[in-house]
Amino acid sequence: MYRYDEFDATFVRQRVKQFRGQVERRAAGELSEDEFRPLRLMNGLYLQLHAYMLRVAVPYGTLSARQMRKLAFIADSYDRGYGHFTTRQNIQYNWPRLPDVPDILGHLAEVEMHAIQTSGNCIRNVTADHWAGVAADEVEDPRPYAELMRQWSSLHPEFSFLPRKFKIAVTGSQADRAAIRYHDIGLRLKKNTQGEAGFEVFVGGGMGRTPMLAARVRDWLARDDLLTYLEAIMRVFNLHGRRDNKYKARIKILVHALGAEEFSAQVEEEFARTGAPRIMPGEGELKRIAAYFAPPGYDALRDDDPALALRLEKHKDFAGWVERNVSAHGVPGYAIVNISLKPIGGIPGDASADQMRAVADLAESFSLDEIRISHEQNLVLPNVRKRDLFAVWLSLGEHGLADANIGLASDIIACPGLDYCGLATARSIPVAQDISKRLGEPARQREIGDMKIKISGCINACGHHHAGHIGILGLEKRGREYYQITLGGSGDESASVGEIIGPGFSSENLSGAVETIVDTYVELRQNGETFLEAYRRVGPEPFKEAVYATH
Amino acid sequence: MAKKTTGLHALTGNLLADGRVVFLAINGGWSDSLDIARLARGENDAAELEAEGAEAVRANVIVDPYLVEVEVGQGQLVPVELRERMRIRGPSVNLEFNSRPNGQAAIAA
Ligand code: SF4
Repeated sequence: MYRYDEFDATFVRQRVKQFRGQVERRAAGELSEDEFRPLRLMNGLYLQLHAYMLRVAVPYGTLSARQMRKLAFIADSYDRGYGHFTTRQNIQYNWPRLPDVPDILGHLAEVEMHAIQTSGNCIRNVTADHWAGVAADEVEDPRPYAELMRQWSSLHPEFSFLPRKFKIAVTGSQADRAAIRYHDIGLRLKKNTQGEAGFEVFVGGGMGRTPMLAARVRDWLARDDLLTYLEAIMRVFNLHGRRDNKYKARIKILVHALGAEEFSAQVEEEFARTGAPRIMPGEGELKRIAAYFAPPGYDALRDDDPALALRLEKHKDFAGWVERNVSAHGVPGYAIVNISLKPIGGIPGDASADQMRAVADLAESFSLDEIRISHEQNLVLPNVRKRDLFAVWLSLGEHGLADANIGLASDIIACPGLDYCGLATARSIPVAQDISKRLGEPARQREIGDMKIKISGCINACGHHHAGHIGILGLEKRGREYYQITLGGSGDESASVGEIIGPGFSSENLSGAVETIVDTYVELRQNGETFLEAYRRVGPEPFKEAVYATH
Repeated sequence: MAKKTTGLHALTGNLLADGRVVFLAINGGWSDSLDIARLARGENDAAELEAEGAEAVRANVIVDPYLVEVEVGQGQLVPVELRERMRIRGPSVNLEFNSRPNGQAAIAA
């Protein structure tokens, strides 16, 4: 795991001190709210509907037990005993008090964490595949490059006042678990025939009111050109991005307006112009960063475990959990454990301080001290020996964390919506709870199979509804919430944008409409087709007919 | 056609220290209850409320004050807009946590 060097540590400590001074000056009236607002936002502090909200970055979604314990400590000491994990691998605290925030940031700095660049028109927390470094299908761990990009983009003077916020995601697998085509820049790490590392580069994806999939601008970018090429992209964006219109300022609009080809040509021109001096650090520095992500000390194990086979046979609930929540690891005898933060009828992504501590303990005892946050608002123990799976499952169960629903209908992404968010037009959490209760009966959701339901409380689409197999967007009309349904979206390697099926639904009718869609799929599917496969075969019509006939 | 309004407004803002939702009260203080909010019935009243809000901003008590349209519904004052109703009510979920005060010390007390 990456450890701060003296420069990082000093920089973060100084930043805490600086913010403490700013908060004091604000309280004393020396700074007005207009002066203070951009300063607090640069430190991840928002003012939401009912209170301040602090958004803390979890770079590329990787945490140690010590860091997770600190997050729990902050939840208990300065908030209300819980936190919310977001679709950008961050954690949000919903109730911090302004005078406490410098102390909170001080505690975070002790464990090499901060809230810098979790807001504002800058390059935000770089996200990565939550199975990075351990997935069986991975070419190479993308996190050293994510860390490199974090260092490059932190407080980069040229990219601190971009036309709009900017999000980068990176994966090292063909299977896309980081939704790279929905990012401003998406990178897929790959190797050429000589075994050298490089990237496939996508630019101009995004959610929001104008959802777009990123266009591929480079099939191959040599590893050593990464930062120079990214700078070329950022410069073209900085130069031509629509600063005059907030709704047209994201890079996706520019790529669309110019056309991917012309955009790409301009980037290549800039890249050629700035090619020297190269800004990529030397081999020594790359190796230094990569060493922090070197595989931990795995035991040499057989891949099969006889005791595990027995437990699977005797404990059906355990077997069901293994089937849904445990994934293939690249090292024999190990497995990836996905911990669902989606209890039936619960709040997607919320974890209590006790649960955070329980996960930290498990990480220490059973996962070589590593935890991941997924963009689907779940947690991951990436390094569990197969022989320990049963013990881990039992322990998770004691803390309400053993729901066997990863990738099923109740594994719903939902943004905070109008229960917390100042920009929301409707609530999203109660909608998620309703649907989860309606479809969450274990046998029922297993029968439905892979299903991604994603809910946003406004057009900003933080709940990734455009990428939902079933997407739900909360809106408001004459003081009442109503919900628009989209179908056929996907955030994986076969990415697509969901299509609106027709007029919206009231909160009372929504979960029924979703159930009708699901029932229609179950009826029309052929040969074990997933929902997405069936939808792509038959299109929206059968679903529309069924839904609007009954709701 | 102009939107029909109730012509009744209260002044709201968030406390600087903890962001809590408050309303300018009849006694001149700030309250989290709309019940005792000072109400404006016309443009002049509204301007007076806004002036008080601006003063409270200068005094570093509240941030971002604005007028909220309210109506009488089921025997009490309620905001007309959904967003404002949610601001008063607090989150409709997570009640176990959201009724708690912040911080360990407060929990223990
Ligand atoms: S989608 Fe809208 S409501 Fe949901 S978190 Fe984002 S801004 Fe808030």
